[in-house]
Amino acid sequence: MGASIAVIDYGMGNIWSVLSALRYLGCSPTVSGDPKEIAGADVLLLPGVGSFRKAMATLQQKSLDKAILDAVQNRGSKILGICLGMQLMGSRGSEDGNTIGLGLIPNPVDRFTAQEAGSSKIPHIGFDVVRSSADSSLFRGIPEAADFYFVHSYRMLADGLSGKKATCKCGVDFLAAYEQDNIFATQFHPEKSQSNGLMLLKNFLAQ
Amino acid sequence: MLKKRLIFTLLYNQGQFMLSRNFRLQKVGDLKWLQTNYNFSHISYSIDELIVLDVTRGERNTEDFCSALKTLTEGCFVPIAAGGGVNTVGHARALLHSGADKVVVNTALYEDDGFIGELASEFGQQCIVASMDIKRAPDGSYQAWAECGSRCMEGSAKHWIEANAGNAVGEIYLNSIDCDGTGQGYDLGLLDQLPPNMSKPVILAGGVGNAIHLAAGFADPRVDAAATAHLFNFVGDGLKQARQSLIADGVVLPIWDVQLLEHHLRLDDSQGQDD
Repeated sequence: MGASIAVIDYGMGNIWSVLSALRYLGCSPTVSGDPKEIAGADVLLLPGVGSFRKAMATLQQKSLDKAILDAVQNRGSKILGICLGMQLMGSRGSEDGNTIGLGLIPNPVDRFTAQEAGSSKIPHIGFDVVRSSADSSLFRGIPEAADFYFVHSYRMLADGLSGKKATCKCGVDFLAAYEQDNIFATQFHPEKSQSNGLMLLKNFLAQ
Repeated sequence: MLKKRLIFTLLYNQGQFMLSRNFRLQKVGDLKWLQTNYNFSHISYSIDELIVLDVTRGERNTEDFCSALKTLTEGCFVPIAAGGGVNTVGHARALLHSGADKVVVNTALYEDDGFIGELASEFGQQCIVASMDIKRAPDGSYQAWAECGSRCMEGSAKHWIEANAGNAVGEIYLNSIDCDGTGQGYDLGLLDQLPPNMSKPVILAGGVGNAIHLAAGFADPRVDAAATAHLFNFVGDGLKQARQSLIADGVVLPIWDVQLLEHHLRLDDSQGQDD
């Protein structure tokens, strides 16, 4: 595989474990916060933990938002957003006030409402069951109900999305994973989800 | 529905991993020894979470601990919490940059200086594990102890658990000093010290010697996670077998394919098998 793999480093979250998982799979990813390198990479991983507003501001400040969109929309590079990384790919986020997202997935990101969560605890932390469809390429070889590790208080809903969706239930059904053409995203952490997560990363890279 | 968690806690002391019995430490071996004799990366394939604590008494060397943490967490695909003497944001950040997803705080919980709030606003409260060491007094009441079990806190354990649960922390780790390392089973009486409307996940620790003890912990609905720090009792395939028997007995733990991990899943191998 000659594809160049870049893990986008913008100072938010545990990049170490994403790298560890990619190395385990036999890849040699680069870590970069340089928009030129990002715009030129074939495969992008956008991890992240923390506040939507702060993350988006950092991406813009470093011109990484344009670099990501250039790579994905003009060059056809594939991207996997993880946790906050997935949320940033949404249309907007309401964490710390409304902020426009990258818009690669047309749904907004909002906090679980009390009504949605019901008796479920928020933040939603731990291994939970993700239901995927048989035709998903991300979940190839993974059971249609499989456990993945989550840690989040905000969620995207699956309503109206045209790509392939996987869902999880935390009071309400929310979007746990998404794939459409070269755009991939997971609300859970594949790099923290034992063989299920490593299989998913492998599937993403093997696309 | 969220799954329950089986947690392994590793105790670190100046480059060595330790066994603890009633908080007295005994050297087991260094990182290399751990890998050679216990095949640690394989142990990590059978747990839902790893906790690594620097229990060095006195001055700790954070740099050395972080470097051990990095080595340990490479090839470990579960959430990782780390701690030991954490009382500054900088210390917490160093752990989070060395492979930890969460920070364990103990003694600093009892200082009324706003540190927990500061940590939470920097990293989010889901990032903070409040670890409490609890001991039964001669009259049967429970008390909380700080500084590796060397300083008894005034007031009941109940009071401190409620105070900490109400603070900006993500979960509570309850360890029994009396049962620690004994292999005689958990002190389930710790759970009676929890406030009735406990809304945060509870990790129970201290005393596990076998899978039956873990099952006893999971059988209590107040327990979200059962932890053990006893390397010797889970030698070889011990933890893997304990996990299998817990799942067979109906404990709702996450399911994955341990064999895939052991055979080393690789991108360039379509069979998912290698050496």
